[in-house]
Amino acid sequence: MEKFIESTEIRRKVLVTDDEVINREMLKMILSRDYDVDCACNGEEALNMLRQGSYSLLLLDLLMPVLDGFGVIERCAHDEQLKNVPIIVMTSEKSAEVKSIRMGAADFITEPYDMPEVILARCDRIITLSESRTIISSTERDDLTNLYTRGYFFAYINRMLPNIECNMDAVVINLDRFHLVNELFGRPEGDRMLRETAGLISERLVGDKGIACRTEADSFYVFCVHRDNYEEALVDIQREIEARTGAKSVRIRAGVYKNIECGQDVESCYRRAKTACDRLRGGFGAHTEVYDNDMHEKELFDERLISDFSRSLENGEFKVYFQPKYNIESDVPKLSSAEALVRWTHPEFGFISPGQFIPLFEKNGLIRQLDEFVWDKAAAQVKQWQDEMEFTLPVSVNVSRVDAFDPLLSQKLTGIIDRHGITRDSLLLEITESACSEDSARFVEIVNDLREKGFKIEMDDFGSGYSSLNMLTSIPIDAIKLDMYFIRNMLTDETAFRLVKLVVDVSDFLGVPVVAEGVEKQEQLTVLKAMGCEVIQGYYFSPPKPPENITALIEKEIYDERHR
Amino acid sequence: MKDIDKLKQFGAYTDEGLSRCFGNTDFYLKLVDMALADPNFDKLQSSLSNEDYSAAFEAAHALKGVLGNLSLTPMYNLASDMCEQLRPRQKVDCTAQAQRLIDLKKELETL
Repeated sequence: MEKFIESTEIRRKVLVTDDEVINREMLKMILSRDYDVDCACNGEEALNMLRQGSYSLLLLDLLMPVLDGFGVIERCAHDEQLKNVPIIVMTSEKSAEVKSIRMGAADFITEPYDMPEVILARCDRIITLSESRTIISSTERDDLTNLYTRGYFFAYINRMLPNIECNMDAVVINLDRFHLVNELFGRPEGDRMLRETAGLISERLVGDKGIACRTEADSFYVFCVHRDNYEEALVDIQREIEARTGAKSVRIRAGVYKNIECGQDVESCYRRAKTACDRLRGGFGAHTEVYDNDMHEKELFDERLISDFSRSLENGEFKVYFQPKYNIESDVPKLSSAEALVRWTHPEFGFISPGQFIPLFEKNGLIRQLDEFVWDKAAAQVKQWQDEMEFTLPVSVNVSRVDAFDPLLSQKLTGIIDRHGITRDSLLLEITESACSEDSARFVEIVNDLREKGFKIEMDDFGSGYSSLNMLTSIPIDAIKLDMYFIRNMLTDETAFRLVKLVVDVSDFLGVPVVAEGVEKQEQLTVLKAMGCEVIQGYYFSPPKPPENITALIEKEIYDERHR
Repeated sequence: MKDIDKLKQFGAYTDEGLSRCFGNTDFYLKLVDMALADPNFDKLQSSLSNEDYSAAFEAAHALKGVLGNLSLTPMYNLASDMCEQLRPRQKVDCTAQAQRLIDLKKELETL
């Protein structure tokens, strides 16, 4: 294998984005001397193409229809997949040069264009700089397992692929419940397991034509000669891991993308293998899953949703619904607040479940735009109810993980609050628990900052991540929202029941109210009330409804208040 | 049929334009023909008559880029001037320059 890693000059791919066909043609002519050149005629098209192919450079015009160059730079900066693609902007404006460089562009080409040699030299310099930075930022080998690191792994595959005569597969391997080994037996034992696994992967799968890397904690990527069936090898590795480490709870799973073709974007093959691997998460059946047509269809559908997002937002296809929350401390439930939830009715696909598009938009950063849209609509609605009904119904909005770590978060929220003339405690912020487990120290800072500014914070999906109960004592929050999984299962699953009880007890001790989400039945309500849970949200009271339907509930509340 | 000498007489800095095309005359002349069909000429005129100065700026800006890259200098200079005048996207009278630009385009078409 090592012999392939001797430098093989690869012809890199660059993307020219300009709405003027003549500029595109001219640049294509110039750049084709050294690169494979593709063209896009607006920003949105460029982003779609960047996501589908592996480009070494983006040349970008600034003034364009649909999505301009600045929009592209901003979207790339917040997109995990695209943030490392260097961008050269093409402009005749001095002020635009400075602005684009500040936003993250690597360089600029002035218009009218310089001599072709100058343009080629600038492109070459930026590509070299960008690639060296990637290589400098990572070392070749992973210290723990001695497998390759991710950056080198992909760089080597790209060099090897044109020279390999046999078919090669992309395999993503993961260890289910590995975190338990670290938690129960300590880090050294966890590290030992990773080393053993790496050794077994190299020995049983990689062979002398392949390579492997460790991408993150317990995730391995393998590039190996095609085989029809991986199950046997995986069962074998699983058995060996158990024998060598004694850990029975950990389970190995692998996703496979078969027959990578030369010229194909290698990273996307691994994304597909990972999609297949993720399907096996938490399962007990087969150890392997092959990326198939269904997954491909889903991927295409996802891409379509991403490309339709901006237009849909502009066309008003996204609507904000509200699901009421009731305080059940007294005999008559009292409407206490509502949660704002986004709904998408697509002109072609009809209603699309938030479960389909929200995780997708969380992955690529579009969620920020969507969340800001919801915050704005929710604040406007609070104000409208105040003006028209003289009733303040606080509305909680979701602040996704990406938003939580946005340095401009409190500024954006304050802007919305001020613009609509409402108070900070009428726009409640639901931050998901998993944001906390990502970087708990930073999370505490963010929450403290928001609370000091007068915002109320509710911790959403509590119990779904890895956060422990003692976290509640260290994080200053105003309410806990129990993950609906526990509520749905608490009448049939003893563990879920106990967890709900425990959270309610601890929260009661800390003086933080608990909101139970997903309550559908009278029995659930009765049990929760007996436990001391204060606020209920769920179909038992009402599904999420458009604002005009909530108005009727407010009218009823006003009537009840007068007659209480 | 256009050729490099006629373009030179017209005032184009053809050496510069050609060098951007690695000296490929056919390719350069093809791009010049394509530039003459650029819809931004019409957009510039119509947006000026509709007093839509934002659209007029965008059209002038786009033309400036294309004409500059092809070194069609007399037209580029006009587009460049108009671009600066229209940059505030406010009412300004540059219909005479726009007319002059269209006249030059016609002249170029008949070469």
